[in-house]
Amino acid sequence: MREQVSELIYRSFLTLDDLDFPGYISLCLPEFNYKIGAYSPEIRKQMTWLEESRDSMKLLFESLPKHNSDHSRLSRLGNIYLMNKESNGDWSALTFLQVFRTTLDGGASELFAIGKIKDTIRGSDGGLKLLSRDIQLETRMFGFGHHIPF
Amino acid sequence: MAKTAEQWIQTPPFPTSHFVDSRIYTDETLFKEEQEKIFNKSWIIACHESELPGAYDYRTFSHPGGAPLIVVKGEDLKVRSFYNICPHRGNTLLYDPVGNAKRITCIFHAWMFDTKGNCLEISRGKQGYQDRYTCDDASLREVRTEIGYGGFVWVNVDDNACSLKEFIGDSMNMLDEQLSMPLEVFHYHKAIVDTNYKLWHDTNSEFYHDYMHYFNRATGMIQPGYFDRKYTGYPNGHASVGSMEIKYDAYQGSKARSVGWPGLAPGGWVLIDIFPGMTFNLRTSVLRMDTAIPLGPNKLLIEFRGLGLKNDTPEQRAERVRDHNFIWGPFGRNLHEDLLGVHGQGRAMREGTDSKWVIHGREENMTIHDEGGMRHFYSEWSKKMNRQAFNPMGDNKLTQAA
Repeated sequence: MREQVSELIYRSFLTLDDLDFPGYISLCLPEFNYKIGAYSPEIRKQMTWLEESRDSMKLLFESLPKHNSDHSRLSRLGNIYLMNKESNGDWSALTFLQVFRTTLDGGASELFAIGKIKDTIRGSDGGLKLLSRDIQLETRMFGFGHHIPF
Repeated sequence: MAKTAEQWIQTPPFPTSHFVDSRIYTDETLFKEEQEKIFNKSWIIACHESELPGAYDYRTFSHPGGAPLIVVKGEDLKVRSFYNICPHRGNTLLYDPVGNAKRITCIFHAWMFDTKGNCLEISRGKQGYQDRYTCDDASLREVRTEIGYGGFVWVNVDDNACSLKEFIGDSMNMLDEQLSMPLEVFHYHKAIVDTNYKLWHDTNSEFYHDYMHYFNRATGMIQPGYFDRKYTGYPNGHASVGSMEIKYDAYQGSKARSVGWPGLAPGGWVLIDIFPGMTFNLRTSVLRMDTAIPLGPNKLLIEFRGLGLKNDTPEQRAERVRDHNFIWGPFGRNLHEDLLGVHGQGRAMREGTDSKWVIHGREENMTIHDEGGMRHFYSEWSKKMNRQAFNPMGDNKLTQAA
């Protein structure tokens, strides 16, 4: 079962890397909640930068082709640090995330962001799925940025 | 028909107020002059009062003129600013961007200062300096500081500059009521982009680039009232854009804003550009403040702040945060597009790319797609720099009647 949990998490990275948004959504339960943020030492506050349900995440992905976006490829590398089966049968996992950006022109890669992901994973008729994902970024500067969340 | 090399550099068919030489965005000499003649003579936003909640709280700030600053709230709760430079051997006094320091002690030789800029102790001072140099000689360099216009902390390194009130004049009148209650910063992040600060400020000075923003086209450009918004220019290079009702739910996944802002009409949007590089952007439920801090002619640091009301309920604050992030957060729809746009300009207008002119020629009775806001900015720039933005080095031969 631990292997299946790991595979789910890694598949979530691969789908976003490949811009396979329907694939990513299919890994999420209908009640999925996604949150990404960071702590700002400058204003001494925790900031939430994006909070989406599965449905609103789907809308976000669907709207992206209408926007002007950087086309550099992002590659997500995760190391699962901890995994635990909770008393209610859900799995929790803590993953250290590194995101690399590779330019289209020339293919130069650079580290784009780091952070930690807390996932809650639940069994369903379709197998293990993401119930929630909470990403706490260490990185707070992204140059000209990117539209697709991590 | 595409242009020849000669045609490419030909003077644009506009009055000289309607175009600039792209060297104003790339030249190192002009940049250093801008730091001296513009940034070191202007009132600049260093932080917000909500970032200094208690006595001895401080923030550091990289002044666009070059000086590193400390902004600190004293025991008397007055906010003062100083050079973040030890008068002894030039070390940085406070390394962290934020903190609390009843005493400011230099890590190098333990010289100690208070939050009024007084030197309190020179370690082994008598032994080393005898009576030749004392604490009275070693005070910090204070920088003029005022709080105003929504609780922002403004600094001016020019001791002889006019007051903040005189600098702003009437340009902020449109937000008098909206900025009259205590505000609080809930969002802060920075971005460094390879571009010139004026190109970033341009994106806040014209709305013609709404063609770049799908969100703005859907919720604004095709909605009633969009083309009625007007630019107004003010002395000292400031400008404002009047409001319209944004139809947020015209964009898939976006909802009408349920939280507003006191004094602002439902769905309203007011924008005020403060010369040389700050923008008050009050969009229905959120106030955004951009501060442009140029690091070089083609490198810009932008501080982004999102603010709400200090007395927001948790639910109101959560709504403001969501509204802010939808368009202006690091993963928001608009911010990346704006940054990508100016990044592209910076790339195409580096020294050596043979870029020549930037056109600010649109005239639509100072309504929303008029480029009068930029013309107003560059008129002030030319005055302060004692250079003409269309001919900054004096070596352009105007090749046709302009």
